[in-house]
Amino acid sequence: MTAVTRRGARVTPLDAGVRMLPGMSPPRLRARPSSSLAARAAGGQRTRATVAVTVAFTTGLLLMLLAPAARAGEVAVSVLDRGGHAVEAVVVTLAPAHGVPAIRRAAPATAIMDQRDRAFVPRVLVVGVGTSVDFPNNDSVSHQVYSFSAAKPFQLPLYKGTRHPPVVFDREGLVVLGCNIHDQMTGYIVVTGAPFFGMTDAAGGYRSGTVPEGDYDVTVWSPLIADAATTLTRHVHVAAGGPTDVRVRLAQALRARPEPRPRRGDWEY
Amino acid sequence: MRSAARFVLLALTALVAVPAVVVADDRLDLTGSLDLRFVHATGALSWLEGGSGALRFDREHEDLRLGRAFLAGRLRLDDTLSLHAVVDAYGDHDRNPVDLSEFWLEYRPFPLSPLRWRARLGAFYAPISLENRGPGWSDVYSITPSAINTWIGEEFRTLGAEIEARWLGSARGYGGDIALVAAAYGWNDPAGVLLSDRGFGLTDRPSTLFGGLGRPPLTFYHDTDHRAGYYAGLSWRRYDRAEVRALHYDNRADPTSVAGSAFGWMTRFDSVGVRLEPTSHLTLIAQNIDGETVIGPFPGGGEPFRMTFRATFGLASLEYGATRFTARYDDFHTHQLSGFYGPPADQVGHAWTTAVQHDVGDAWQIAAEWIRVTNHFPPRANYGLPADGPESQLQLALRYRFRLQR
Ligand SMILES: [Cu+2]
Repeated sequence: MTAVTRRGARVTPLDAGVRMLPGMSPPRLRARPSSSLAARAAGGQRTRATVAVTVAFTTGLLLMLLAPAARAGEVAVSVLDRGGHAVEAVVVTLAPAHGVPAIRRAAPATAIMDQRDRAFVPRVLVVGVGTSVDFPNNDSVSHQVYSFSAAKPFQLPLYKGTRHPPVVFDREGLVVLGCNIHDQMTGYIVVTGAPFFGMTDAAGGYRSGTVPEGDYDVTVWSPLIADAATTLTRHVHVAAGGPTDVRVRLAQALRARPEPRPRRGDWEY
Repeated sequence: MRSAARFVLLALTALVAVPAVVVADDRLDLTGSLDLRFVHATGALSWLEGGSGALRFDREHEDLRLGRAFLAGRLRLDDTLSLHAVVDAYGDHDRNPVDLSEFWLEYRPFPLSPLRWRARLGAFYAPISLENRGPGWSDVYSITPSAINTWIGEEFRTLGAEIEARWLGSARGYGGDIALVAAAYGWNDPAGVLLSDRGFGLTDRPSTLFGGLGRPPLTFYHDTDHRAGYYAGLSWRRYDRAEVRALHYDNRADPTSVAGSAFGWMTRFDSVGVRLEPTSHLTLIAQNIDGETVIGPFPGGGEPFRMTFRATFGLASLEYGATRFTARYDDFHTHQLSGFYGPPADQVGHAWTTAVQHDVGDAWQIAAEWIRVTNHFPPRANYGLPADGPESQLQLALRYRFRLQR
């Protein structure tokens, strides 16, 4: 089973440079949520991402059929802004609360934080503790990536292409990325110890896939969310059967989205 | 100038001495541009040609002209140190046909906290213009910058050291940053002489470090008093959408000092500018400058010459694909309070500028610009001209540019 799971988890990363999320591979069925993140993260590579989604989804179905009849449930999270509109690209983590047996994690995964048009792509990435993240620079200009966040301070001297080895994120926490040349470039890597995580899709939804029955703390985060962090965690009990719905309605307006503005003929270094 | 020259020559030597091995991947970033113009102008002789006209070209200097040829380069010495140089040619009668206009060493360490430091040493523009954001301080919105930034380009260069502390708000969940910048410099004591002589004008002919402007040429990069000048400014940015800059400039020149043919003009001003990019198509810029310049008194020369000045402009620019349309209104005044006999340096002027630029591929750009200036400046009488001098200038530009990175 585990072997199959691992293989399943690997299907997603294969395509489209979107191996963002394999993250922790919980007992089964991580494929679907991770692929939805992948699809979004891939941005311009929608076609290939779609292939990835399809492959992952198929794998998921396959795994579901193969899954033992353990008691398991699912969590369906939706994030809505103050006006009731879906909020996309919100990081969702499911951490088991007390009383849930420890969930075994798969081998450390890999992920990619790309750089294009003077922006990090994706702007927000969620990875499990221990994930090694590649920072390829596919832009026309060089970047100098850094973080001074406590969870992972690091610096990648000026480069293009893939000059630097991946960076291993071995501590939980939020890592804010910057470029020392382009101050407007900002990216976020959420390093989580939670066994289940992902991001909301265009409809503001995230489905955990199958998770063991029990109590969980469901937390949402996005750089655009202005609500106090203390209001963004929901304690839920996941029972076997239909999905447990978690609805997060934000009280504060979202922060403005910084759209990168690549300028024609703009030769700022 | 002699010491400034020595300084820059030393720096140049250092640049040449940098071993070629340093030029590894991504070390060198070189931009070059050649800009040819076809000009039709209605004004009497331009100040740049020894007259009193407020524009770059005039009835006697039109048709085919070299707008500017430049090379702007950056050489990374290591990950925190880089060397920047801009070499210019304007094809006019400047004593150096090819000259440096900027040359500086920049230190930009990786931030270890939200506070990011940056230091520059050498000769460079103070962070005043919100129009001149292209390589080599080129204006990206029109061919000719506003009256304010024309003047900044003509008479000002920081020859000294600047330090900037920028609070990177993005790392703290705030979508913008705030910076404090301060500089100390010498060799800019004559700044103000051109403004008293011509008033504000609109040209895209900045001075170079060793050259001069006008006939006979005025030069601006001298130290007449061994007193450092300074500027201090504040900048606030919100993503790419908004930027506000405020800066106080004071060259602290001793207005009675003389060194060779250069005089100290005590010039100080406040500049405030805003640039907004509310959509990806639209840019709005407004800037105001307000200050004074003083020279004298000299023994037996009566009162010091004292002149205040104020200029404002508003610009709107629309960009659709490869085409950009820009319109700008400039308003400028000078007022002489005392000193010098003859017609007072009391300027009342305004100008309309409209420009269209169209990129053809990555390398070529065609541009057209029309400026009309209405200028009342009594000292024009010294040239046998009436105080009022409306001028207009139509320019068509063909620009080639390249960028080399290795
Ligand atoms: Cu960058």
